[in-house]
Amino acid sequence: MSEPLDQHSEENVEYRVAHLRDRLAAEELGELGVRAEVRAGAVVVTGTVPSAQCRETVLRTVREELDGLAVHTDVVVAENATPDHAEELP
Amino acid sequence: MIRVAAVGDIHMGPESQGLLRPAFDTLPECADLLLLAGDLTRHGTPEEARVVAQEVRGLAVPVVAVLGNHDHHDEQPEKVAALLEDAGVRVLEGEGTVVECGDTRVGVAGTKGFGGGFVGRSAGEFGEPLMKEFVRYSRRCADGLRTALEELDRQGCATRVALTHFSPVADTLAGEPPEIYPFLGTYLLAEAIDTAGADLSVHGHAHAGTEHGMTAGGVRVRNVAQPVIRRAFNVYHLNVD
Repeated sequence: MSEPLDQHSEENVEYRVAHLRDRLAAEELGELGVRAEVRAGAVVVTGTVPSAQCRETVLRTVREELDGLAVHTDVVVAENATPDHAEELP
Repeated sequence: MIRVAAVGDIHMGPESQGLLRPAFDTLPECADLLLLAGDLTRHGTPEEARVVAQEVRGLAVPVVAVLGNHDHHDEQPEKVAALLEDAGVRVLEGEGTVVECGDTRVGVAGTKGFGGGFVGRSAGEFGEPLMKEFVRYSRRCADGLRTALEELDRQGCATRVALTHFSPVADTLAGEPPEIYPFLGTYLLAEAIDTAGADLSVHGHAHAGTEHGMTAGGVRVRNVAQPVIRRAFNVYHLNVD
């Protein structure tokens, strides 16, 4: 059974992650596609964003909101290449 | 054969002007039309809509679009649609359009759609007014899609495509947390597609989902959200009988 302090700490991380998601949606990005989850004591932030500038904004927001926490990020920029083949739908 | 290019969730903003245009300029070489499956902007502001309009203005293939939930956020969807229409985009909501591809009439029926979930795990039209309106709104979107597909059939379209933002099936949501499926789509859209008939269903919205799915009635579904297809667009070749 966890100590009460640990429980509070755990809840605190959950709420901080929730606030991060709220902020990403509410601010300049309107970003709902970035996922932030608590895994093994760290916060994992993943997703695809429309531009390099959006990625920088997401990462800055993550640093501000989750300051002091272990954070792993894998946020990539959408690819704009032309497809090299089509799918045949007989 | 009809060549359908499609992409959704391009989420354009001021700094993304020009990112997609080089790929879009190659469309005449590989596609007969381009479908945009909603969430073309981030907040649905006129400024963002102008970026999208500029990105597709004057393309050499017809462009047909539906709006997404992001395109409604600023509560000016009519303005967003008008700016896109001004750039030559046909924006659909509960209606269809016919695209002439050589001798073939291709019908595209579109609605943004909405959530509600999938059979056995779906919201019901019951209880609080807000909850009932949630489901009724989804139903109105699905009804609009069905009637548009039926009208395209009456107009003699050899091929019909259902274009939505929200998903008609759970298949293409695989990768998203199951808990949020009811916010990603509704079986009502699939029921409309299966009732009226279609050759392909294209949607976006689920960034972490997967591309391929199928309705219970056997209509192929493709999630073309840009984060899923990882291209400026995908192209589907539809055989015409």
